[in-house]
Amino acid sequence: MKRILLLCLTAVFTFATSSELWAQDRTVTGRITSAEDGSALPGVNVVLKGTLIGTVSDSEGKYSLSVPSTGTLVFSFIGLKSTEVEIGARAVVDVKLESDVKQLQEVIITGAGGLQARSRELGSSNAIVTSETLTAGKAVNVAAGLQGKVAGLQINSTSSGVNPEYRIILRGQRSITGNNQALIVLDNVIVPNSVLSNMNMNDIESMVILQGAGAAALYGSQASNGALIVTTKKGKSGKTEVNFSHNIQLQQVAFLPKIQTKFGSGGSAYGTNPDTSPYFNYLENQSYGPAFDGTLRPLGPKLEDGTQLYNPYTYKPGHADFWNVGVTNQTDFSMSSGDEKSTFFLSGQYVTVTGTTPGDKYTRGNIRVNGTRKLGNKVNVSYNTSYAPNSYNISSATPQIYTNLLNMPSNVDITAFKDWKNNKFATPDGFYNPWYLNPYFSAANFRERDKNTFLTGNLELKFTPIKGLDLIARQGLTTRLYTQKAFNESYKYTTYAKNTDQSSKTDIPGNDAEWSNTSSLLITDLIAQYDKTINHFNINVVGGTQMRENNTRIFGAGVSGLVVNGLYNLNNGTGNPTYGEGTLKSRLMGVYGKVTVGFKDYLFLTGTARNDWDSRLAKENRSFFYPSAEASFIVSDAIPSLKENNLISYLKIRGGASKTGQVNLGGLLGVPGSFSDDGAYYLKSTFSSQLNGFPYGSLAGYSLDNSIVNKSIKPEITHQFEVGADLNLWNDRITSSVTYYQSRTDNQTISTSISNSTGFSKYLTNVGETEGKGLEVQLHITPVKIGDLSITVGGNYTYTSNTVKTISALLDQLNLQSSGNAYSVAMAGQSFPVIMGLDYQRDPKGRVIVDGTTGLPSATTSNVILGNATPKTRIGADALVTYKGLRFSILFEYRGGYQVFNGIGPEMDWSGTGYRTAQYDRKSFIFPNSVIKTGENTYVENKSVAIANGNGNNGFWSDGINRNTTSNYVTSGNFVKLREISLSYNLPSSLITKFGGNVIKGVTISAQGRNLFLWMAKDNYYTDPEYSTAGPNGNGSGLNDIGMTPPTRNYGATLSIKL
Amino acid sequence: MFLYRTLKIYKMKRVSIIMILLVAAVMYSCNDYLDINENVNKPTSVAPELVFPQALTSTADNLDNFNTYGMQIGGYAANAGGYGGFNETVSYAYTPNNYSNLWLEYDNLEDYQYIIDQTKGDSTNLYLYAAAKIMKCYGFQLLVDAYNNVPYSQALSGEKYLTPVYDDATKIYDSLALSLDDAIAAIKKGQSFDIKPTSITTPDIVFKGDMTKWIKLANTIKLRLFVRAGSKVTFTNPTISTDGFLTEDALINPGYTKDNNRQNPKWDTWAFGYTGSAGNKAWIPSTFIMTYYDTTKIADPFRGSAMYYQFAIKGGTGTNQLGYEATGIPKSPDGSFWYPTDVTRKEFTDTTGVLKGPSAGYPMFLAAESYFLQSEAALRTMISGDAETLFNTGIKASISYTYQLSDGTIEKDTFDTSDKRIAFMDTAYHKINSTNYLVNFNLAGSFEEQLEAIITQKYLALNMINSHEGWNEYRRTGYPKVSGSTAEGTFASKVSLSTRVDKLPSRILYPTSEVQYNSSNVPSATTNSFTSLIFWAK
Repeated sequence: MKRILLLCLTAVFTFATSSELWAQDRTVTGRITSAEDGSALPGVNVVLKGTLIGTVSDSEGKYSLSVPSTGTLVFSFIGLKSTEVEIGARAVVDVKLESDVKQLQEVIITGAGGLQARSRELGSSNAIVTSETLTAGKAVNVAAGLQGKVAGLQINSTSSGVNPEYRIILRGQRSITGNNQALIVLDNVIVPNSVLSNMNMNDIESMVILQGAGAAALYGSQASNGALIVTTKKGKSGKTEVNFSHNIQLQQVAFLPKIQTKFGSGGSAYGTNPDTSPYFNYLENQSYGPAFDGTLRPLGPKLEDGTQLYNPYTYKPGHADFWNVGVTNQTDFSMSSGDEKSTFFLSGQYVTVTGTTPGDKYTRGNIRVNGTRKLGNKVNVSYNTSYAPNSYNISSATPQIYTNLLNMPSNVDITAFKDWKNNKFATPDGFYNPWYLNPYFSAANFRERDKNTFLTGNLELKFTPIKGLDLIARQGLTTRLYTQKAFNESYKYTTYAKNTDQSSKTDIPGNDAEWSNTSSLLITDLIAQYDKTINHFNINVVGGTQMRENNTRIFGAGVSGLVVNGLYNLNNGTGNPTYGEGTLKSRLMGVYGKVTVGFKDYLFLTGTARNDWDSRLAKENRSFFYPSAEASFIVSDAIPSLKENNLISYLKIRGGASKTGQVNLGGLLGVPGSFSDDGAYYLKSTFSSQLNGFPYGSLAGYSLDNSIVNKSIKPEITHQFEVGADLNLWNDRITSSVTYYQSRTDNQTISTSISNSTGFSKYLTNVGETEGKGLEVQLHITPVKIGDLSITVGGNYTYTSNTVKTISALLDQLNLQSSGNAYSVAMAGQSFPVIMGLDYQRDPKGRVIVDGTTGLPSATTSNVILGNATPKTRIGADALVTYKGLRFSILFEYRGGYQVFNGIGPEMDWSGTGYRTAQYDRKSFIFPNSVIKTGENTYVENKSVAIANGNGNNGFWSDGINRNTTSNYVTSGNFVKLREISLSYNLPSSLITKFGGNVIKGVTISAQGRNLFLWMAKDNYYTDPEYSTAGPNGNGSGLNDIGMTPPTRNYGATLSIKL
Repeated sequence: MFLYRTLKIYKMKRVSIIMILLVAAVMYSCNDYLDINENVNKPTSVAPELVFPQALTSTADNLDNFNTYGMQIGGYAANAGGYGGFNETVSYAYTPNNYSNLWLEYDNLEDYQYIIDQTKGDSTNLYLYAAAKIMKCYGFQLLVDAYNNVPYSQALSGEKYLTPVYDDATKIYDSLALSLDDAIAAIKKGQSFDIKPTSITTPDIVFKGDMTKWIKLANTIKLRLFVRAGSKVTFTNPTISTDGFLTEDALINPGYTKDNNRQNPKWDTWAFGYTGSAGNKAWIPSTFIMTYYDTTKIADPFRGSAMYYQFAIKGGTGTNQLGYEATGIPKSPDGSFWYPTDVTRKEFTDTTGVLKGPSAGYPMFLAAESYFLQSEAALRTMISGDAETLFNTGIKASISYTYQLSDGTIEKDTFDTSDKRIAFMDTAYHKINSTNYLVNFNLAGSFEEQLEAIITQKYLALNMINSHEGWNEYRRTGYPKVSGSTAEGTFASKVSLSTRVDKLPSRILYPTSEVQYNSSNVPSATTNSFTSLIFWAK
């Protein structure tokens, strides 16, 4: 609608200047204001209905128009409801215009150039998330704010910590080893995903999610993954606004693995009592000792001074209390202003987060300046810039801390060891456990400081030489400067500590490692657009070219054996430092075109085509072409009879097909701090010079690296088609949309592991094919809309099925990720990915076969499929209630139909804290639902042969047969989360005027919570199934590991003031 | 109105022409713009002489892995106190994951193959070609002796054979012997030129370019192939050149030093890291091996005190039987029991024995092993020579290596020359074991006793040096003798699951990577760690 309105505007101008030709009877004046906040609305069209007489309101919202004696004035503006007013006898007509949410949704940004088209023209599915919906839960991270809100969009928080990482996937995974994350487009410029998690959410005006490849095809490579189009706020002309807000949130561990609370340290390796209960041991980290009895027992060896620590032998929940309550403070400021020629928006944000791991801290700042400026009548200049520095001061030992905590018997109250500097039982020398460090010491001593500076900006010049033709030139730039410093103090144990008991304490050398990474992404667009209406046809033609350049520069160095303790500098090390550097550069050129033909504003056909040339591929393969086509048909506009009844307010049928290409050569995935989509220089085998200590003085040495690449690598090609419909009923009281899609990706570029006997271990080549299909549904109902009260409920539903068709002639499976004995695998003919590992040997009925003498089960000899790692079904359910200044919203998310491997399971069973280990009271037991093989294919139910040692520490539970059998720790991944709940209240203006005078225009107070509750499947008593060892960039989902601290909940309050 | 329209069309045309020209110009420069994919970080080709020292150093690293495998299975070491989780290492119920790092030898062999490919037919590089070829044979024998059939004829060919077939181990042995002939011929051809081939003094971190020594190494490897294969292989060329065998230890040393990543790998694994942190403390000497030093079977205070911590104190050197896990098992001191300084531990002090110091060369082939091979070959009349003389020279060479310090010199102690000290110990060793045919060859009455003496002494000479070779010889000959289940009688694990009489495994399994990535060729289904034998095994 916007473009049409802009054209109208021009038309009105033209006619207004020649209005002397018309008969003038009298002059009507008035002021146009916003119904919401009473502010002046400049630029509103005022037209006498049925004529061409009209004008536009000025910066104060005032207008003046000569009109005939009678008539009706039509006031219209983009995003506001058009209002008609009878002039009658009045000379002054003031109006208040209400915002029109529905009309706003018609404005959508699509196509490579940021060229605007109405959603009704689009043949592919899209969704809009408004600023209000996005920020309701006050998440610090944009990705977190999107969770559960859009059909087809899956966002996983793959880890915990002060700034968790998120994986953003649209319509499931397509590429087996390549990038599957959605393309992020910020103010019309492609940016790396990391920009999204480091931007100020309050700067976002709206987000458009293009689920399919079709609508995104023009963005080029990576559009096969769909796109998130982010538009930041702009100033409004004639309206100056200042906002302040402050938000405080608490972050608390929300879920801890279920543990046994009956038994403490020791085990049968130390011997057993006559009643077969195992001995207590004062050192043992495994909780396979006797049952808690409350007696005072020694903990750890005697110290050098002869003192001995004693401890009541009971369960203490100290491990849970190890984790802190984190505090997040977020302060926001924004100012926007504008006049007829220019607009200006300025915002700032400062966030500090303290984490649940003691001593962890994260701070982030954001500054944004956006503006537009008209130069004459034909040139528009706009710019968007943002500067976002952040820093982490965190422990680098959190995974070890968690592992060690899981390994400490619960008769040990770890909180008693907090003061590791002064408490002689808590210092490394005196700590009771010879194998593990005091977690408080680890947290304090092993530190990491990361700093990031993001600078993003773009400058656009739009030249309109003649009506209908736009020439656009745009330069976008994203840079990231990343530095990391990881270090620890040395610790020299006393001779006594080193040689006491297990003598497992060994000196810790001091270390210092530095890492820096500068990345930049430069994108240049040149676009021409021509728009023309001939009779019932509207034709829009776009042609453009794009140049993209990725630059990365990495440097890392590390020294060990620090000489002066506590001085963390590379020049304070001893010996040969480790060091390395790398420079990567890749370029892409694209030429694209798009034609849209509209008929009577209810039928639209769009075709696009793009050709890319990519520097990372060999000359003969570097060019690739991909087209798309789509159609949209507004049935409710085309068939007048539908419009006449009150039931259907909007019905659209749409469909599209597309082909997209993606170059996937591996790239820098896993290199901290770099943009992850590079893959330069991969075509030739390389040599390394720094292995085995080389160079030794003047003696240099090189070794052939272990990867070979098929030199004729081609891009991965995704074919996708989708059909769908949007239907609104009863004057939009019910809004809905349904989309079905299917996609196929072939030419998968896969780095397959090959036999070392080839001389190499990896072979990168084009093989493999995946297939995806799914259903996306959105439905919202507003059953109550009475006066000021409005209630809307609804949600989104997604069904996803992704399958690996083939991998290669050599292999039918490919390991993507591993955690312990579990593997996330792409396997031909299976859903993508599947969890594989060892299971118990079973009879045809699925019962576990045990040995006829020992009663022990045995593991399968090879890995078997244990589950599907991708949720088949996802549901987001939300509700919104507004009443006057009150706004209440709630959002639940459900994911189901998948499994997850819990990496902490084997560790907990090893340590004896695992809940499973006490289910038979640590006594001899008959393996449940087991059979004994009595002959070929004959099995008899086992009712008598029990496993003799039902304890651990030499018994069943800590033995390999239990811990190495992967299936013991594969559980349902199903969960329901209370993602967000928020309640806000706009103070009534009467109250504000009373206290704030004329300065304060609005005050909002709100309270919100995120991830307050997590309900998981019964068999999962480990951790959040969203966590993934593969991290945000890896495709091998479905596995988590002990490196991940427990999931947290956030809750807090916000105060916002508008000036 | 009409005029306006034409003007508009004209303008449109002009704009499109500009656009077309612009795009054309961009396309024209497109190739230059995109030709930026040459690697600026790593070389994509390198002169072969730069690869050689790296490949040799990598061989030393792999040998450290082979030694660990040999010391754990082959009876030289046992689990230490204070550690748990030994699992298959002590039960012998191996999975494809156990010792799978040995298979990485192929990565090392690829570097030698690169050198061979780059220098083949290049008369100026005959020496480098020959040395790389000898090392390739050395590496393949390590693999065959650990796994039996392995990929050979199609191996190391990159993209050409992605799933190389497994060749018969006996055929590989024959091919390796021929390959060594070819290497010797290449060196001799080079030596016959007036203008000699390029010297490899700099890249050769074993013999400093002495090609005669390379020929001797080739002959000794060939002898090892012959002796080990016995009658199981009919060699195409069963003769050995008359150039002789190794008379000195072949040590790899790129310039090891007490520095990050630059220490002798065995020192780094067991003794100390360069910052002074202790190495692996999960293993200690086996009770079985100690009986060959502590007078139970043989009295050897000379080598015993030179290689074990607190050997002189009764019970000072902690030992254990493999698989025995209980409280009270000796715990390893910092630097391990193979770091022989007594009582007061002085970190980093270079010393005698098997670890010596961070800068010691890594033994690739001991002179002692060469002599014991010759002794057996003489005994079997495969070569001419006196078995007893060669046996005694072998013992002396072993004592000599044991007393060698990391700088290559031999500790003199109170003697005025090192030679005198070695001679004294050699004589004394024979004297204090005067009734023992394992030390005094002339007391060995039968062929079997003579063979037992040779192999037992070789087993001792290889203790913690090339432990895997000791393990190979046990499997071939059954020596040193094991009996019963006591810690002194056998080195088999207390918790062995082996079905064999000696309660030992017969081999390790092919690695997981082969099972996964070369499944159509790997003979894993028929491979059992208790019944499947290396072709030369008993």
